[in-house]
Amino acid sequence: MFPRKWVILIVVLGVLLVSCGGGGAATSGAKLNVFEWSGYELPEFWAQFAAQHPNVTVDFSFFGEDAEAFAKLQTGFQTDLIHPCAGWWQLYVDNGLVQPIDTARLENWADMPEFLTKQGEFNGQQYFIPWEWGYESILVRTDKVDKVPTSWKELWDPAYAGHVAIYDSGETQYMVGALALGYEPFNTTPEQDEAIVQKLIELKPNLLTYWTDNTELVQLMASGDVWVAGSAWPETLMLLLEEGIPVEYIDPEEGRMGYVCGFGITANAQNVDLAYDYINAVTSLEAMTYLIDEYGYGAANAAALDTADPETVEMLQLADPTILNDTVFYQSLTPERREAVVSNWGRVKASP
Amino acid sequence: MTTLAPPIRTAAQAEATRRRRLLLIMGPPGLALLVFFLVPLGIMGLYTLRSGTLGGEMAWSLDTYRSFLANTALQRLLWRSTLVSLQTSLLCVLLAYPIAYYLAFRAGERRMTLLTIIIIPAWTSYLLRILAWKLILGSSGLLNTFLLWVGWIDQPAPILLFSQTAVVVTLVYVWAPFVALPIFAALDRIDKRLLEAAADLGSPPWYAFVRVTLPLSLPGVLAGFLSVFIPTLGEYVTPLLVGGVNGIMYGNLIQDQFVRALNWPLGSIMSLVLLVLLLPMFLLFRRSDDLLQR
Repeated sequence: MFPRKWVILIVVLGVLLVSCGGGGAATSGAKLNVFEWSGYELPEFWAQFAAQHPNVTVDFSFFGEDAEAFAKLQTGFQTDLIHPCAGWWQLYVDNGLVQPIDTARLENWADMPEFLTKQGEFNGQQYFIPWEWGYESILVRTDKVDKVPTSWKELWDPAYAGHVAIYDSGETQYMVGALALGYEPFNTTPEQDEAIVQKLIELKPNLLTYWTDNTELVQLMASGDVWVAGSAWPETLMLLLEEGIPVEYIDPEEGRMGYVCGFGITANAQNVDLAYDYINAVTSLEAMTYLIDEYGYGAANAAALDTADPETVEMLQLADPTILNDTVFYQSLTPERREAVVSNWGRVKASP
Repeated sequence: MTTLAPPIRTAAQAEATRRRRLLLIMGPPGLALLVFFLVPLGIMGLYTLRSGTLGGEMAWSLDTYRSFLANTALQRLLWRSTLVSLQTSLLCVLLAYPIAYYLAFRAGERRMTLLTIIIIPAWTSYLLRILAWKLILGSSGLLNTFLLWVGWIDQPAPILLFSQTAVVVTLVYVWAPFVALPIFAALDRIDKRLLEAAADLGSPPWYAFVRVTLPLSLPGVLAGFLSVFIPTLGEYVTPLLVGGVNGIMYGNLIQDQFVRALNWPLGSIMSLVLLVLLLPMFLLFRRSDDLLQR
């Protein structure tokens, strides 16, 4: 009796595995799989690809967190292109999840500034092609506050008690705490890490809530419940301005925070040629201009600065070379370090 | 002997048929439970012993257990979440009991209509029902507008929304109907002649309620209580949406370990701890009938 049970179990497991594996292969036309943040799948971004390959379906899968994307890929998720942010790129390369990219095949390579492309270079080879970069800074309802803050430190100002919202992310808040305390982020001692935890706990009386996504923050600020938002994205600013709500995007004295994200071709990609065409489409002048105008992000294709709405470029100082030097960009974290940072954030959240 | 043989074979055959039928009925759900619940639970148990989340060469160790035991913040949060769940379950029972009582003893012909009305909100999405409370409690919401109009407050206060109270209020709203049902079922089963007998013997109605109705409805109360307490202890969506800074629950940090920290071993331990804590509840639930009939 005993072995027969096992046989049944194995047969069932086998059937399950086969049916899982078979799902992807059973298609007639060619298909490009893109693993994306939601919001970047807009057809405006890949119009050039659609014109070039009218018969190819672009199949998007979405992730909401870098950690989620990495875990999914590492456990065998099949896709051609991925779009993680720079702090995670090293991890993809170290785990052999992406393949080197031949920059000679990139139509817009020459227009990409080196400070962006360098971040995607590992062991002398290009693994990631930057696509967008953006700020994370303080966004203020100017009609609600008596004094507009000028630094990260001022998030702790009791004048804003109960009307501050910060982003629910350990990595982000680690940086905010370090900047407010005058430490150099990504180069802190264990004592300084502890001080950051205490500092973030001290912020709690000032907080209304932790915001988790852009839509939520837009609602919180539009309703007037949140006056000062930490680590808000340019996208939030653009949406609120569109609604006619008086907001100002601060350039804090410690510097804005910033991130870079971009595309990598997976090591086991099945449509490498299509992947290159897709990268060329999304980095085209038209797509990148659309990105600046709609989302207020910095575009990897610097030529788009001339074609985008000058008002947006001016407001966010996207063309100003000095601002990038003052911006504090996310850096790669080792898995151990990431665990520590997130675990500290858990302590902050769990503290009464 | 030969005359006796056929009935014996028939009995054996009947037994075999019965077993085959049982296997046919119980087999698929049992298998689904095994493959989709017990096996993943085992995998989760194994994860607690790993030193990292992903990657090939990883040592087995008890390090994560040590770090969980050393993390007093997590334990405090677990305690606070337990209190929130207890509060929610008790309030649910208190609110649901009169409803169930009315339905069982007073509603008469309208009971089916009223029962349906109670259940109807459960037809809409869980998320939608939580978001509805954002509209009620928010600074431009119903409650604030009302308080402003009455003159109790002079400025809208979003504080009503982002707090532990908001979490309890929302959870009570969502779960109270599910508590009313088992209590109603228990009350409905009570033999009305027992109450008549109590009255005949000179017991005032309140005394009959305390000595007859309440004890007989306790299994339903317990079932209702546990059907709220068990799922709300691991709750994370409601605190995420209406809890703000102080309404965070243990489930939120479990989610963080899996989705953000990439610390599956710690997330697995946290989940298993929850499961172990709830086991006595299951046992209590299973034995509730025996206990109450003593």
